[in-house]
Amino acid sequence: MAVLGIPILEDLYPSTMDMWPLEAKEFNRNWTFYENLKQGRLTTTKCKDCGVVSYPPRVICPECYSENLEYIDLPKKGKVIIFSEEVKGVPLGFQSPLIHAVIDLGVDPARRLLTRIINCPAGALQRGDEVQLAVFDVPALPIDKGKLGTIMSERVFFAFEPVKK
Amino acid sequence: MARNAVILAGGQCKWGVREAHLVDLFQEAAKACLDDVPTLKPKDIDGLIVATSYAGRCSFQVNTAPVIAERCGLKPTSICTRCDTLCAGGSTGIILAMGLVQAGAADIVMVAGGEKLYTPQRWEVFYSELASVDHDWDGVHGMGLPPPFFALTAQEHMMHYGSKKEDFAAVSVANYNYAATNPVAQMQKLLTMEEAMAAPIVVPPLTLYDCCPITDGAAACIITTDEIARKFTDRPLVYLRGTAQVCLNSVSANFPGAHLADWKHTRIAAEKAYKRAKVSASDIKVAQTHDCFTISEVIEVEELGFCKKGEGGAFCSSKQIEIGGKVPVNTDGGLLAVGHPFGATGIRQGVEIMKQLQGRARHQVKDADIGLTHNLSGANAEHTILIYGREPVK
Ligand SMILES: [Zn+2]
Repeated sequence: MAVLGIPILEDLYPSTMDMWPLEAKEFNRNWTFYENLKQGRLTTTKCKDCGVVSYPPRVICPECYSENLEYIDLPKKGKVIIFSEEVKGVPLGFQSPLIHAVIDLGVDPARRLLTRIINCPAGALQRGDEVQLAVFDVPALPIDKGKLGTIMSERVFFAFEPVKK
Repeated sequence: MARNAVILAGGQCKWGVREAHLVDLFQEAAKACLDDVPTLKPKDIDGLIVATSYAGRCSFQVNTAPVIAERCGLKPTSICTRCDTLCAGGSTGIILAMGLVQAGAADIVMVAGGEKLYTPQRWEVFYSELASVDHDWDGVHGMGLPPPFFALTAQEHMMHYGSKKEDFAAVSVANYNYAATNPVAQMQKLLTMEEAMAAPIVVPPLTLYDCCPITDGAAACIITTDEIARKFTDRPLVYLRGTAQVCLNSVSANFPGAHLADWKHTRIAAEKAYKRAKVSASDIKVAQTHDCFTISEVIEVEELGFCKKGEGGAFCSSKQIEIGGKVPVNTDGGLLAVGHPFGATGIRQGVEIMKQLQGRARHQVKDADIGLTHNLSGANAEHTILIYGREPVK
């Protein structure tokens, strides 16, 4: 299908217009974060030399510049500190209501994590509510492999959702 | 021996939804800037710093400095470059120009900032805004356009300090009314408290007049030394006395304050800028702060030390930000009403402070001798402060 106004982009993927992260191993040294997400795990990196846990994950420790890092699990449940609800004028790529919350996962450095809250109707969420990790599929990333053609690299992303009471 | 840097001239084009190309806006701004001091000619300028963030995204143009230099008839021989700190780009350019002229690495530098954000497709600017914050960790949650982030900030300010919707409305009323007679402002209308309180909801508690618009526009100013400036103007000189730019985080999860209404990084920036400028908060006679949202101005007057922490709402609603108040703020209309073409904003603010300190502002603050500009950028990730004065730092 042609892109309106740019017929030369017929069947081509303009990666500069892709709203999701370039998660694939070929383009991201923190690809493990996304592989862990596919397993339902929210993870980040911990320095094996100085012990500092960083969020988001890194390829070097921001404290001691060690490259000796490991992935550790963050809690999958947290509590809503505050939230906002956008009902009208939600930007392209998101559905109404677009709910944002600052949540506390109970451990550093995730005591004030900003996230989207999904699977929740407008007006239902309250401060203090318990929420849990929700992983969902996003469109696969087309990667041009030259003579081998284009491969589709599966992608997921995460939000949180209310824990059913 | 370091030289003293001054802001010699400045101007902006008409801001708003412009039927123009990015390079057109820069040309209009460069002309407005040199029209401010007609003895100054393009050939006198030996440096150019361009501040733009969305040129690459919205105008398919990176390496903008040579493009802008050529279109504006400049032939820089000391510096020709671009900086990008989004909302603080113009202020960053002024800080860099100051350092260059103080060090003798440049003599007369034009700092020009601008954005063309309205593209032929209405969805695109909102979509591209996902790049305004840390894209992969905040933008990807639909946090690109800032109203939700500042709605959360407003909620926490109300929760911790008891500020009210009326306090926010007082900021929009003050800033709109400052801009009502400003011919280059995007919004030129008198606003009443009743209108502000009855405005349609954007993201609760923020309503229409709590949020700055999306703006096309450009601004330019000239940074040089006091000795050189004297050859071009008889106006009072306006010196750059002290600056600071503080960045402690990018991803919102690492926000440095105890909550979103506790702006530790602003306090650090203010302390550092005041120290360098050898002034204190009580010396500031006029300020242009980053009123991207009304709640921002409420918190800024606290963190800059114009009032006690937590009392920003009362400070604004008791008219301390208006002419005759303790510190008149955003006297040309601010981001809320003049608009906010990111890279241009810091220049607009610097030019208004220059005019205030020269006694030729539209809403003149009596005996203004020390003025301040402030920007925040991204999801409240960076704070930039410049202090101007009628005398150099001794
Ligand atoms: Zn370490």
